[in-house]
Amino acid sequence: MNLYEFCYGIIHWLVDLVNNLWYWLGDVLPWVFGDFFDAVGDFAASDSNIAFFTILTEVLIIVIIALINVLNFIWLDRKFMGRMFDFYGPYYVGYRIGGWLQNLADGIKLFVKEIITPAKADRVGFLLAPVIFISSSFLALATIPLGRDFGIATNESGAGVPAGVLVAFAMFAIAPFSILIAGWSSNNKYTLIGGMRSAAQMMSYEIPMLLTVASVLLLAGSFSFSGVVDAQHDLWFAIPLFLGFIVFMVCLMAEVEIQPFDLPEAEAELVEGWTTEYCGMRFGLFMMTSYLRGYIGGALATALFLGGWHGPELIPDPIWFLIKAYTVFVIVEWTRWSLPRVRVDQILDIGWKRLMPLAVLNLFIAVAFKTMGWF
Amino acid sequence: MGVAVFAIIALLFPTLAFFLSRYFRTDKHDPRGETTYECGEVPIGDAQIQFHFQYYMYAIMFVAFDLVTVFVLLWALVFADLSELAKLFMVMFIGVLLVGVTYALKKEEIIWI
Repeated sequence: MNLYEFCYGIIHWLVDLVNNLWYWLGDVLPWVFGDFFDAVGDFAASDSNIAFFTILTEVLIIVIIALINVLNFIWLDRKFMGRMFDFYGPYYVGYRIGGWLQNLADGIKLFVKEIITPAKADRVGFLLAPVIFISSSFLALATIPLGRDFGIATNESGAGVPAGVLVAFAMFAIAPFSILIAGWSSNNKYTLIGGMRSAAQMMSYEIPMLLTVASVLLLAGSFSFSGVVDAQHDLWFAIPLFLGFIVFMVCLMAEVEIQPFDLPEAEAELVEGWTTEYCGMRFGLFMMTSYLRGYIGGALATALFLGGWHGPELIPDPIWFLIKAYTVFVIVEWTRWSLPRVRVDQILDIGWKRLMPLAVLNLFIAVAFKTMGWF
Repeated sequence: MGVAVFAIIALLFPTLAFFLSRYFRTDKHDPRGETTYECGEVPIGDAQIQFHFQYYMYAIMFVAFDLVTVFVLLWALVFADLSELAKLFMVMFIGVLLVGVTYALKKEEIIWI
């Protein structure tokens, strides 16, 4: 049973339940509107309506799983940082579950805080930038399936979105654009520098990243996640394309803006980078979204290089996927708390003089493998 | 349709969060709070200025190479069905572009504007 059929069952049962009540009401009160009750009931039970609500349920399930993962990731990040820097991390709120509730407490605190729009800011851009940033990051999740039968599907076959890899990367790459809007419209010197740095950073990592993705797609011969993951049934792509995996991980760190490459919000140099003027819930959602991007990054690395949901049958598919994504995230965090931040000209040099030739070399390795007929 | 519904949910999520927090937060605005934040100093001048864009060379290369990446992605998808000549042409294409990038980077090193 895949996710679509599961949601379809739930929605069908609910609609039947409500419709029985509704038709009974129509029988009891026939003098009010006549055919009105029947028309509404038939509409609710129509195929298109049920399909819409099925997809809505699927989407909500995926989003809620992502949000729970984000809470876990924030907790994991703080605990891990604490252990590395020799302090406890959060432990007071939710004492019995290792301080896990601290994130919720922070969220509630940010939710009730005052929101200030600077008087000199460009209001439209200032309000629009967070919405673009957050919704585009969420949308990157839309095509990533957690398992063979656990992704967003639009019909009973359970097939995911075609060309899902491209959609995910396109949505993932919109963020620097919204950061640039936020930086400019805040009318603050720190945010402006942060936005410009974000643009420079995007120029340096985007090409190597897409070239390594191209090498994976070349070996898999498919643009959809299920195709890419099924091609890794025997051998994870991280092994033949080891070089590409390293390049991809470095680019991923730049993409999700974490420590060695968090130039746009360098706390030590620019006050809070491009989020300086944002406060209250806007900042809270920015922070949540940065961890959400960490989750998406881990999921992308898992699906493209680490064999996705493939693993021994003992553990179900989505759990395998999440285990791998968490492992990737922990490795990324480890790097994050170990390395110093690079300069803005250094990241351009790293991107164009180190990662780009390696990515092209990796592409040629993939071409060689495919031409030899090993994949 | 799945992605479309997801897009609606994704757009609604931040909008609703910002909108709902209106009913819970305190709104005691102070004109001093609305000044641009510059670590307590009164900011001098505007920030929306003509920004000194030092890495324009990389930007030009980026535009050129980004288009190539689109071609490479398409080429990668149909790679198995291509003739040997087509594969060779694409490799040559990337090679020519790499020469160009190397030259541009060489110029960039000498003249750092």
